[in-house]
Amino acid sequence: MFPLTKRIDLIVKLNPEQIIDKSLKVVVCFFVASAGLWLLAAALFAYIASAKLTDPYFLSSFEFFTFGKIKLAQANAFVYGWGGNSIFAVTLWVVSRLAQAEARGRVILVFAGIIWNLAITFGLLGILDGHMTPHEMLEMPTEVWPALFISYCIIAFFILVVHRSRKNKNTIAPQWFLLSSLLWFPLLFLIAWNGLEINSARGTVQSVLSMWFGQSLIWLWLTPVALGSAYYIIPAILGRPIDKYYLAVFGFWCIATLAPWSVVHHLEGGPVPMWIPAIGTVMSIAMIFPIAVASTNFHSTAFLDVSKVWDSLPLRFVIFGTLSYTISSYIGVIFSLPAVAKITQFSIINDFHFNQRVYGFFSMIIFGMVYHILPRLTGNEIAKSAKAFHFWTSAFGVLILLLAYLIGGLTHGVLAQQPSLDWASSVLSSVMPYFFITELAFIVLGFSQLVFVINVWKAIFPNPFYFISSNDDASSKEVAA
Amino acid sequence: MNNLFKFTIGIFLSLGVAWLAFVVGARAQFGDLSPSPESLDEDGNIPVDADLFPHPLSGLAEQGSKEYLSLGCMTCHTQQVRMVEAGFDVERGWGSRPSVARDYIHQEHVMLGNTRIGPDLANVGNRHTDLEWLHQHLFEPQSVVPLSLCPPSPFLYDEVDSPTGKAITIIDDSNISRYIVPSIRAKRLVSYLSSLHQDYELPEMAYVIDPDDAVVSSDTDIPSTEPDQNQTSLPSWLSDQMASGKEIYMKAAPGGGLCFTCHQPNGEGLAGQFPPLAGSDWVLGDKERLIKISIHGLMGEIVVNGITYNNVMAPPGIPPGSLTDQQIADVLTYIRNDWGNSASAVTSFEVSAVRTKLKGRAPMQMFTAAELNAEEK
Repeated sequence: MFPLTKRIDLIVKLNPEQIIDKSLKVVVCFFVASAGLWLLAAALFAYIASAKLTDPYFLSSFEFFTFGKIKLAQANAFVYGWGGNSIFAVTLWVVSRLAQAEARGRVILVFAGIIWNLAITFGLLGILDGHMTPHEMLEMPTEVWPALFISYCIIAFFILVVHRSRKNKNTIAPQWFLLSSLLWFPLLFLIAWNGLEINSARGTVQSVLSMWFGQSLIWLWLTPVALGSAYYIIPAILGRPIDKYYLAVFGFWCIATLAPWSVVHHLEGGPVPMWIPAIGTVMSIAMIFPIAVASTNFHSTAFLDVSKVWDSLPLRFVIFGTLSYTISSYIGVIFSLPAVAKITQFSIINDFHFNQRVYGFFSMIIFGMVYHILPRLTGNEIAKSAKAFHFWTSAFGVLILLLAYLIGGLTHGVLAQQPSLDWASSVLSSVMPYFFITELAFIVLGFSQLVFVINVWKAIFPNPFYFISSNDDASSKEVAA
Repeated sequence: MNNLFKFTIGIFLSLGVAWLAFVVGARAQFGDLSPSPESLDEDGNIPVDADLFPHPLSGLAEQGSKEYLSLGCMTCHTQQVRMVEAGFDVERGWGSRPSVARDYIHQEHVMLGNTRIGPDLANVGNRHTDLEWLHQHLFEPQSVVPLSLCPPSPFLYDEVDSPTGKAITIIDDSNISRYIVPSIRAKRLVSYLSSLHQDYELPEMAYVIDPDDAVVSSDTDIPSTEPDQNQTSLPSWLSDQMASGKEIYMKAAPGGGLCFTCHQPNGEGLAGQFPPLAGSDWVLGDKERLIKISIHGLMGEIVVNGITYNNVMAPPGIPPGSLTDQQIADVLTYIRNDWGNSASAVTSFEVSAVRTKLKGRAPMQMFTAAELNAEEK
């Protein structure tokens, strides 16, 4: 098989980038394709969960579909299934491209990817069967974590190997963000796993640790990948350097040092020592700096050439993501102030924070990256109208989803602070309209994601009936002959 | 930044500093809280004979906490009353005082939660002392709380056609009565929910009851209106422990103790073969001896109430020696307080202390009465 490829390389002169893409094709396509399937699973879970909030009797006689389980299954399918696979795909591709080196250990990478996906499948089934753990974003049963961790380490190792063999020893912003995210996840996981499962902490130390892990995962695993992708794709498509690039290094180390501290402000007033939420609040406010840096870098570059941003759909997705990152991160800073936190702390504003980060920011940028990568890998263009349909439905769905959670969360929080109002008949009934809007939003998003997955699969398998039709071609040629 | 090794060190350090604070620091500060009396004496010592809070969960309630977890209840329910300055939880009647870290030390999994689509449950055992109400709520929340968004859990109950002894009546919106029999899972869950009450004071968190609220809080001291008439004199945590202990004593399936096969359901034993537990000087005597026997079993001659028996008792539990600390505490509390016995309860802390002491001993290396008596002296 390999001598053949070499011969083709000799006949058709491939440029270095095409050779790298060729080495990446199978692995990256595998990760993107499985990420797409997880996205659909998450969309289905999201719809069921939101429908159950508007009608508690919906599917209520099946224990499998209890609201709490479905909601956790959705979050885990989204973060580990869609998030994990797309992180592998994007990181591998960008790191290889920037290192100008070919992928190594492709068979092992695909094998580790299969383990990763199988482990998530079993993990989600475990959650639905009632074997979850109570720790934020570690809800999948304890049995699947060793498999997830080992397969992650294998994948991360081979990405690091590619990075080590890079031609140019100087590194740039996308590499810092992507590699740091690659390294942070296993460390975060080991800390949380040790504190929660091996040397299980007693009492509310557990809660501090589990919240710290759950929130840090979003800040230190998903966020850097999306930021790194934006640092890569904006200059690549616009053909101009990042404006005020010297700030990027400051922004990067700000996130690295502040983010792990800023995530614990959700415990305001809870049964933990006061310094924990207090330090979280202070550090959340300090997060203004890295947010400002990223926002300046991205937007002052992009707005130099708005028409080009608008014309390129991948870039349109990415700029939507970075704008959403800027706006909603500032909103997040406001909600970490104690005066505001006491109102919104336990309201559905938590869903706003989760969805703005993984949907409005991370997923939108990844959509853009996938549309940028896939045609280069497979040589098959994706129809512009299909991408545009995906963009508009996603943008609309995300927007109404986030608005509903934001306004609904404020309503929920303010009314919950009125001790005289009855819980079910006053507080929840007032939030009910927003639950209906989120249900609608999840239907729209579900359609939009279906279009995305069809786009992706069509690009990877342009002719799914290849074998049958090639036989037909052969026979028709025979006839013609 | 260009050297991968140095870069990795930097990345790990940035996380390591936060780890030092939130994991190492938090653990050192409040990771080893122990139960405490409601108040300390002037010197800051624990008064003699003081009752220690919080009470451990009974075995049944502990099982219930696993059901609570596995049904995903914590997605919508918190279990924390916030500080007065941080919210109006106390005013809403969700607790008589804010929760503190010490309230959670017995919970294997602390389920504070972070979203309140349903009400806070830190004190649900106080608000709803009527177990039937809790069952009705689990089966169909909308039958007791109109407009509730809580999903019904009919799979925890068997529906029957006519009201029998144990059936609970549900009246739905169209005024039709339905009758349900709770499964063991539903009973565990309800036992767990009714064990959730932070209604004691702690040295770090005393509360003054408003005269207006006095009615509410005095309700909580009245034992719940359980059908079990003969146990109403016991505080609820003890009756829970007794109920769980009885379940273990009588159970002949994994998780049970298989005690009754030899010692008989009435605790009288079999004359000449198995010693009685009712009125036994061993059962009512030293706790440590009892715990040792319950962990490792007993063989050889033993004199109970002046009569000599000679038999072998494997470590209780199916499989042998599989009972947890809490289960041993429950079953010992049960045998010390049924059939006319009355002696102090055994806590899981006492059991785990003995277990630590016996660490080097092989699991199936049974004790002999002579060995235990020698240690006694």
